[in-house]
Amino acid sequence: MDWLRTLLSRCKAFLIRDKLDEELEEEFRSHLEFATEENRRRGMPENEARRAALRAFGGITQIREKYRLRRGLPLLDTIPQDIRFARRQISRAPGFAAIAIITLALGIGANTAVFTLTHALLLRTLPVRDPGELVRLAIDVSAVESNGHDAPLNLPIIEAIEKQSRSFHGVFAWCVYDFPFKDGTVNSGIHGAIVSGNTFESLGVRPAAGRLLTPADDQPGGGPDGLAAVISHRIWVERYHADPSIIGRHITVTDHGATIVGVAPAGFEGVIVAEHPDIYLPIEFQAVLYGQPAKRDAGRLWLETFARLNPGVSRAQAGAEMNTLFPSILDATIPPALRHLPVIEKARFEVKPARTGWSQLRSQYTEPLLLLQIMVAAVLLICCANLSGLFLARASARRQEFAIREALGAGRLRLMAQLFVECLMLALPGALVGVWLAWMAGPWILHMLGNAEAEQAISMQPNLAVLSVTVACAMLCALLFGMAPAWTASHTSVEAALRNSHPRASAGGTGLRNFFVPFQVALSLTLIVVASLLGTTVARLLTEDSGYRTDNVFFVLTDFLRVPEHGEALVTLYRRMAARMEEFPGVDQASVAAVPPLMGRWTDDFVAAENAQHAQPAEAMENIIAAHYFSAVGIPLLAGRDLQNSNSDRNSCIVSQAAARLYFPNTSALDKTLRNVIHNRRTGVDTIHDYQIVGIVHDTKYDSLRESPPPIVYLPIAAGEEAVTTNAGSTLFFIIHARSTIAARSAYLATMHEMAPSSPEIPAVVFSQSLRDSVARERLLSIMSGFFALLGLLLSCIGIYGLVAWNVTRRTTEIGLRMALGATRVRVFALVMRQIIGLLAIGVLIGGVAAFFAARAIRGYLFEIHPGNPVVFALSALLLVLIGLLAATLPAHRAVSIDPTQALKTE
Amino acid sequence: MGDNKSDLLQGTLDLMVLKTLESMGPLHGYGIARRIEQVSDDTLSLNQGTIYPALLRLQQRGWINSEWGTSENNRRARYYSLSRLGKKQIDKETESWERVAATMARFLASSR
Repeated sequence: MDWLRTLLSRCKAFLIRDKLDEELEEEFRSHLEFATEENRRRGMPENEARRAALRAFGGITQIREKYRLRRGLPLLDTIPQDIRFARRQISRAPGFAAIAIITLALGIGANTAVFTLTHALLLRTLPVRDPGELVRLAIDVSAVESNGHDAPLNLPIIEAIEKQSRSFHGVFAWCVYDFPFKDGTVNSGIHGAIVSGNTFESLGVRPAAGRLLTPADDQPGGGPDGLAAVISHRIWVERYHADPSIIGRHITVTDHGATIVGVAPAGFEGVIVAEHPDIYLPIEFQAVLYGQPAKRDAGRLWLETFARLNPGVSRAQAGAEMNTLFPSILDATIPPALRHLPVIEKARFEVKPARTGWSQLRSQYTEPLLLLQIMVAAVLLICCANLSGLFLARASARRQEFAIREALGAGRLRLMAQLFVECLMLALPGALVGVWLAWMAGPWILHMLGNAEAEQAISMQPNLAVLSVTVACAMLCALLFGMAPAWTASHTSVEAALRNSHPRASAGGTGLRNFFVPFQVALSLTLIVVASLLGTTVARLLTEDSGYRTDNVFFVLTDFLRVPEHGEALVTLYRRMAARMEEFPGVDQASVAAVPPLMGRWTDDFVAAENAQHAQPAEAMENIIAAHYFSAVGIPLLAGRDLQNSNSDRNSCIVSQAAARLYFPNTSALDKTLRNVIHNRRTGVDTIHDYQIVGIVHDTKYDSLRESPPPIVYLPIAAGEEAVTTNAGSTLFFIIHARSTIAARSAYLATMHEMAPSSPEIPAVVFSQSLRDSVARERLLSIMSGFFALLGLLLSCIGIYGLVAWNVTRRTTEIGLRMALGATRVRVFALVMRQIIGLLAIGVLIGGVAAFFAARAIRGYLFEIHPGNPVVFALSALLLVLIGLLAATLPAHRAVSIDPTQALKTE
Repeated sequence: MGDNKSDLLQGTLDLMVLKTLESMGPLHGYGIARRIEQVSDDTLSLNQGTIYPALLRLQQRGWINSEWGTSENNRRARYYSLSRLGKKQIDKETESWERVAATMARFLASSR
């Protein structure tokens, strides 16, 4: 309780401090009078009595200062004083202040920019009730598909989970959608989502107006308001000016009438990060669009699923429970034809935390962002080292000032606090400019993500979380770069400093300053090596031969769920549409493929039919195509012929060189029979299908530019099993090779209108663009790290320059003396440079070791360059040393031109 | 400055002040300082001013109270007096001080 009473009394004292000051003075006065009087009574003369009283009392100023520190809230008293004082100090050296602020703005700005992205993508907690309970349910298919994505679920699986699992409640599903949207005269696309009826209830969000969707809305035939729609707060404000009367308004979404029943709360952007739906419709809308079978299709995995953990159930327990239930759930839901595909057989169920929502971008960007975060922290450390150096130089020039203030009763803590305030007054404006820089750089950084959707949805506007981190950053900086000068200042011996009035003669902090340069150089070298390695990687990736023609090739996803054709008729439709597109001017070839180049991989097991008895089936990449695929994407046909768009080629296939070598190592593969083996792990029965090899094509990559070309088997498009529309599943791509984007687009649109008018138009992917975007992650890393390395280099140069310049100033007299005694200019130049060369050497040595470990840590991102590449290390070090020496030459030159007489006279 | 002179053991001065007020009744700062000097036979040469931060500390803890009054020779001064809490505190402080002193004494005796 003591501390509480003390605090209260301090607060009270703070409020009436003027009165208390007067009282204290009066108390001291009466004390001295009592003492003087007693001394007089003892027979001392008047003067002597007074002096003795003062002597017995001790230093009045010090006591008063000590008393005040203990009495009120000294921080609140002294901070305004310190600020006023710091302002005077800063305005006395505006150039110094400007350099400090710019340095900090660059360092803090880089940190803020990266952190804004990290926060938006990884850290922002969803604005929902108890976000910690939320988990994402998904199927981990990484055992087969190497791109690291996990697969969503579908309604039958979700219902089975709800029925069998005891771990979850409030399970809800979510699928993002782009809809054509009509409201009166407004006719536009709208970004939306279809969600389970219980979604909003489970998330615990409240409507901004009207009501949110309920399970009653998600029924076949619609709910009480027919097809109910909830709009986002954003478009409610932007499009409807927050008009409450829009509740009950009729709108048209993809040609179907719907009713706006409510508005989602402000700031709610859904559970999928970097996607912000502007309209929410019940999952029943899928049935409205494509029929009930499509909504309940168990052969597609399309619903992102989230749930809340039951009280007392941990995520690990839930995961364990689900993995025991999972095989039987799959048996009961997935169609038999798909159930035993390797990708499903090897899948595991995942229960992942969803406090911050989920995004596909995360699997790709979590590590790179962490890496960038470490790099910007290094840049900030270089900044701080720089400013520490500058401040030390100034602190030694201000030693007398500190000494005088200490003599006048300022405690060491007080001196340090004052210096800290001074640093803070440079750091905070620096942070402000930094935030502005980060804000300006935001769109540019987002663009480098190579994801148009995310580019639109992620806000790089600084928010509270980001700003508080930035301010914390600034304070940390102030502490870091203020610490060294404050420490040396507080260890200044008063008498020595006052006696030694010439600032040049003092050497305080030299040792510390010498430490900063190697530190900066080491960090810079690490950054430069990392940046060079990443830059080389991007260059190598982009010039890597993928095996394709990349110019003027376009992919368009098809969405033929609503066309009346099925089975054979659908296969014919695909082929006819491709052929029709080829008739348009400007289109060279058009075809169909299940997996367009560099957009993922499918695998299947094959074996040479002639060896089927004694050889095990081996895995190969499988693609489903139509005629002209190879000419469209520019894969050379090495032997045999292309597939034809006719059923006579139903049992033909084409293999890549690697596949030919894999299955027929000793003979020519042409005209041999390749057997597709689908192994049912449960029944142990193999389903086989034989294909005759009619052609061999050049090797290509499929999953990424990093892989070596896999063995590939190309099968003709054919009718599929019941639930699946073709043997390629429900999604296929048109592959168009045309003279221009416009030609490809118009051929596609005309063909769609003519032959599949009920299907939505989908924007085309430009292959050259998607190729560049496939290295977006590496590009982001290399450009950003390159920028940070440059920044680090620049800052280190300033640091080196500062140190040498300061040393020259400090040693002016000495140099003058040496020159007077006959030292040549070359000797003087060498004298000045010798020290900096030593420091550079230490820095390069430490930096080399640090860079070696850093390079090993980013090994996973490198492509065709060894992390220990000696050329990269040598060139980086050389660059750093050269620029460092250059920075040192300027002040060294000044040392050479010192006039001995002048230098000695000033002493 | 000042802190290299023989500083009183933390809490020692507090107890001296409390004890002084207990035996003398309400007293002003100079009176307390003089009393402490006299009792210690002037062996303890403290700067009289240091009594004031100590008095403030005791007040903040609620162990002593203060009010302005007039001295016998008609001079205004602030008088300090022991509070109820302070009276209790004296026993505690005395006990703990005696323990320390006894320990020290034993220690010195044994190492002699």
